[in-house]
Amino acid sequence: MAKKEAVVDNRHYDVVLKPHITEKTTLLSEHNAVVFQVAGDASKPEIKAAVEALFNVKVTGVNTIVSKGKTKRWKGTPYRRSDVKKAIVTLAEGQSIDVTTGI
Amino acid sequence: MQTVETLNEGLKRAYTVTIPANDVAQRVEAEIKSIAPQVRMPGFRPGKVPANLIKKMHGPAIEQDVLNKTVQDGVQQLLAEQKLRPAMQPSVELVGGDYEPGKDVALKVELEVLPDVPPPAIDGLKLERLTVEAPTDEIDAQIKRIADQQKRYDDAKDGHPAVEGDLVVLDFAGSVDGVAFEGGTGTGMSVELGSGRLIPGFEDQLEGIKKGESRTLNVTFPKDYGEKSLAGKAAVFEVTATDVRVPGETKVDDEFAQSLGLQGLDQLRELIKGQVEQELNGLTRTHMKRKLLDQLAAGHDFPVPPSMVEAEFGQIWAQLEHEASHEEDPEAARAEMEKDRDDYRAIAERRVRLGLLLSEIGQQNGVEVTAQEMQRLVQQAAMQYQPADRDRFVQYLQQDPMAAAQLRAPLYEDKVVDFLFEKAEISDRTVTRDELEAAIEADDDTIGKGHVHGPGCGHDHHDHDHDHDHAAPAKKPAAKKAAAKPAAEEAPAAEEKPAAKKKAAVKTEEAAEAAPAPKKAPAKKAAAAKAEDAPAAAPKKAPAKKKAAAE
Repeated sequence: MAKKEAVVDNRHYDVVLKPHITEKTTLLSEHNAVVFQVAGDASKPEIKAAVEALFNVKVTGVNTIVSKGKTKRWKGTPYRRSDVKKAIVTLAEGQSIDVTTGI
Repeated sequence: MQTVETLNEGLKRAYTVTIPANDVAQRVEAEIKSIAPQVRMPGFRPGKVPANLIKKMHGPAIEQDVLNKTVQDGVQQLLAEQKLRPAMQPSVELVGGDYEPGKDVALKVELEVLPDVPPPAIDGLKLERLTVEAPTDEIDAQIKRIADQQKRYDDAKDGHPAVEGDLVVLDFAGSVDGVAFEGGTGTGMSVELGSGRLIPGFEDQLEGIKKGESRTLNVTFPKDYGEKSLAGKAAVFEVTATDVRVPGETKVDDEFAQSLGLQGLDQLRELIKGQVEQELNGLTRTHMKRKLLDQLAAGHDFPVPPSMVEAEFGQIWAQLEHEASHEEDPEAARAEMEKDRDDYRAIAERRVRLGLLLSEIGQQNGVEVTAQEMQRLVQQAAMQYQPADRDRFVQYLQQDPMAAAQLRAPLYEDKVVDFLFEKAEISDRTVTRDELEAAIEADDDTIGKGHVHGPGCGHDHHDHDHDHDHAAPAKKPAAKKAAAKPAAEEAPAAEEKPAAKKKAAVKTEEAAEAAPAPKKAPAKKAAAAKAEDAPAAAPKKAPAKKKAAAE
């Protein structure tokens, strides 16, 4: 893996879907962490590589969580909402990502 | 805020105002802080959105808002600091076009100030009040007119054959080709013979019918009859007259007055007299007001802001243009207007000056329009609208001080004039109506009458629209009269006509100004007459409707 060069690749865009902006995630920014919604099949190393490449930052850790979609009913028939995978990415000291500006 | 005066010439002023970027930034921050508790965003509880996010999302819009406000405040501050009284809305321009965040805002402000009106000499005004006694013959004529509108029918003697003018009450059944058609049958319909309201031939064949008599009428529906299936068809009506009535003379007596809902003839007479007097008082007031304005105009001379004159002139001109387009020969009318351009300009200048003067007098002497009066005005104005729109109109007035000022201006002017009347030495003289009218006519020749107002009354030139709307209906008859005059004198010479026209223009301005008083009188009269008509009209109307169905 070309860790140091951090070349932006198309697959990086497929991994990191969008920033997850809520009251809770803004509080996380105090601990130098940002939250993204990521592809369901993305692994932590992939997420780390993608974030480093896209935002040009140093990532010190990635935690992920899959929040399961709710079971709903429509005309009596149950169905499920899609699952969402979120990645809490901790950045190196002094680095930041402006989550509102998009890529 | 820094201000630099760049122009000071006559009544014109120009300034360059610089507002530091810091100021703007601070205001933006404050604005964001103030709206933060109301912002909703998905992912956040209402009002919990961090300031930097708000700035990201709504930044440009807020900035624009703040900039506008800053500019307004800046201009206000400028006016307050320099103690300026602007004649018109100052023209404000951003130097260098668009605003860029983080840069100082430079404004170019141009305005015209109100002239310092010299203390108006309102003492020693001498006015003559021309009063007119309400003539009895006019009152009688009025009553007669009302009486004529009241048609009364008396039962005819048995066996009286109906003639033209009589009312026949009948039951009828109509058929086409032996088949009864819809709406072709009815009972108790009243037909006034000779009124021509029914299908041709119907009334003719009723002539001579007696009470209780039955007849068969053969009629043909007209080709352009409203109901398509019947148009042009021949129809047969079986009618039976249930009653025949003859028209009775309406006598002017107590009974007649009582039929109008009054107590007696004397009361009716009083009412009519009141109306006539009101009208005459309006005329008297118009005359006095005009004399007063003449005296004021003669006694004062000061420079007036050209832009105001220009606006006023524009108004007059637009009005004339509008009128000219209705003339038979628009081109010629326009040419005449061009010739008198300078005169019109003088009229405009005089009006502006008088307007300033009146508002100055009003201010100095504490003439004010009370909230109560304002309320009444609003109510009156709201009456013109549909009931559903009234509330909206009132709300609009509350929100828009400009519109409210527009409404207030004429009343304010009236009150100032009233105040001056109190101050002035007034000598009474009784004249006839003709003399009074002649006096007003004579004044028309002196240029520049009428509708006056100033910015002090809190309105700009927009309100003229409003006033001129009123002027329009009044103007037409006057113009026509003036136009008719030269024609009647068999001298439609080109030199005479413009004079007459100018007169008309001047006069109507006056009429518009005097509108509240003299114009109201006839309107009221009409309303009164109408109300009196109502009882008589009501029974008549109902059969008419039925008649329509029968046809």
